[in-house]
Amino acid sequence: MTSVLKNYSVILPLAALVLAFWFSPDLQEVAAGVAIFLFGILMLQDGFKLLSGGNLERLLGAATRSTPRALAFGLVSSTLVQSSSLVSVLTISFLSAGLISLIGGIGIVFGANLGTTTGAWLVAAFGLRVDIADYAMPMVAFAVVLVFQKARPVRGFGYVLAGAGFLFLGIFYMKDGFEAFRDGLDLSRYAMPGIWGLLVYTALGAAATVILQSSHATMVLVITALAAGQISYENAIALAVGANVGTTVTAMIGAVGANVQGKRLAIAHLVFNLVTAAVALILVSPLTALVDVVARVAGVGAEDYALKLAIFHTIFNTLGVILMLPLTGWLVSFLERRLPETKPDVSRPRHLNAAIDDYPETLESALRQEVSHLYDNAVKLVLHGLNLHRETVVDASDLGAAVRESREPIDLDIGDEYERRVKTLYTAIVDFATRATRHRENAPEVVARIDALRDMAGGLVRSVKSVKHIRKNVLRYTTQETGAATELYDALRTEVARVVVAIRDLDSAAPDERSTLWLDQEAARLAASTRKGERRAGALIRQGELDPSAATSFLNDASYAGAAMHELLAAARAYFAEPDRAAAELEGLLALDEDEIGAAAGRGAPGE
Amino acid sequence: MGLKKLADKVAEYQQRLAAGQAKKIEPELVEHVLDKLRRKEADLLADLASETDDAEREEVEHKLKVAREHIERAEWLQRELA
Repeated sequence: MTSVLKNYSVILPLAALVLAFWFSPDLQEVAAGVAIFLFGILMLQDGFKLLSGGNLERLLGAATRSTPRALAFGLVSSTLVQSSSLVSVLTISFLSAGLISLIGGIGIVFGANLGTTTGAWLVAAFGLRVDIADYAMPMVAFAVVLVFQKARPVRGFGYVLAGAGFLFLGIFYMKDGFEAFRDGLDLSRYAMPGIWGLLVYTALGAAATVILQSSHATMVLVITALAAGQISYENAIALAVGANVGTTVTAMIGAVGANVQGKRLAIAHLVFNLVTAAVALILVSPLTALVDVVARVAGVGAEDYALKLAIFHTIFNTLGVILMLPLTGWLVSFLERRLPETKPDVSRPRHLNAAIDDYPETLESALRQEVSHLYDNAVKLVLHGLNLHRETVVDASDLGAAVRESREPIDLDIGDEYERRVKTLYTAIVDFATRATRHRENAPEVVARIDALRDMAGGLVRSVKSVKHIRKNVLRYTTQETGAATELYDALRTEVARVVVAIRDLDSAAPDERSTLWLDQEAARLAASTRKGERRAGALIRQGELDPSAATSFLNDASYAGAAMHELLAAARAYFAEPDRAAAELEGLLALDEDEIGAAAGRGAPGE
Repeated sequence: MGLKKLADKVAEYQQRLAAGQAKKIEPELVEHVLDKLRRKEADLLADLASETDDAEREEVEHKLKVAREHIERAEWLQRELA
């Protein structure tokens, strides 16, 4: 069904263009203008991606610290990239990845709606008055020289310059195209007065924005058509209102693959634009009167409908923000009530979202959260495989006693659970990390950290696989008292539980207080304990309390459990590694290697 | 134990630093890590004082030994980088 729709979404517009060009060759220039304008938007977006480098996440964090900041960020970013739809879709992706809060996201989307009005000003105040093709041509020519440079910021600036040049060129062709219509087709004959005119043209504006995927492009078309006298001022106002409604469709499509937070934001965007559109249509007479007053004060001519439309566009969007901003808190709690957090499906990736593929640092952050999700799943499975509940382990004051009391067999098909909770996530992580390698040239350090996270995920997978081997004997010896074997397996389970608790303690410590060097201490404790366990097993065999078959099983299983614990410790070492390069170097120098840890464990410690 | 290995690691780090492949470790950073290590040592000593179970005491002693090894290394490194 989706592929059929995708095919139609290509074929239908192409067929419509062929038909339109057949009946009206003059339309070719307008269509080419729209295409060049949209191409300019794409180049602007690429340019800003290159210029922002890996700072996007930090920028977003700082931008959403308060609602006014988020509002300003939305305004500036949509002004720069000339696309509120893009800003909204990216905001939904970042919200889904857990990088910003819902209230911060709403602020950005509201601000983006204000930023979208700058497109109308650009065309009305500048595009129609100056022969902007004169500026566009040298801009594009200079930009091409910059685009072929190696330095990333220079290339980024080149794309921005080229994008702006193509925007201007697109406006020029649209304007020129509509001029050609003057002598042929007169669209103004189809203009409709009254309430029906408002509603029909609002719907047309929304439809045009859905097709063009840009309210900016719709506004530019409307203003150039208005300036060429092809549509009436009243109908242009309705088209502008419709463009605001149409832009929400892109965000709604973007939210389809997002989590519940992303969907909440898409609905907030829809509510904001519908309320703003409804208010604008209801108050259309007082608003146009207000536009006349503002135009008079600003010295705009009474007949300059293009500029008056830009003023209207700004006023009604500002009115929307003024109306909706005090209701943001209510809107958030309404959305949280109506769209409750669904019980997360542990087997599906929660943070990996293809929309952030272009932003290496954001990608790293999302991957980090997904690896943490995998760690939770892996540890739960490791503990269940040993017949232990995570709550029992982390809440225990006496871990050994808590383990000895855990005799109830946990109903678990470890093979199935491994496929469901671990392998699916690991596959998604590997796929995501592989896609990130294309940033190796631009962001080598980030890609190196992403590689480390992927390796860490591999270690977690191996830890679960190790426990899969032990499961049978764990069920045999720990669900009932069998004497010496039960004692040994309980000691093994306690060791794994201690490692899990040590990692939990590291996680709950303040980042400035903790160090991965603590894991060396845990590794030394573990090595000493393992040796003690081996000595105890040997003694039990010699005393005849452990039969050779059980002893062999235990020694094999102890080796698997040891591998699982080492993988968990290695994963924690990678996960909690210092993000600062110098600090990471220092910890690397101070860390003990396996031999040194073994020596520390073997020689015993001085008593106090 | 391990100061010879540490010296080798430091020499390798200095080579990477000279080639622009590593970031310089400032003495203040070593001091900061030393503070953390000493606080951890104090915590372990407190644990040892309050622990009555022999097996548990032995485990804490192993951790303490590693913590002191880290402190010794950090102090040596601090002198080297000064």
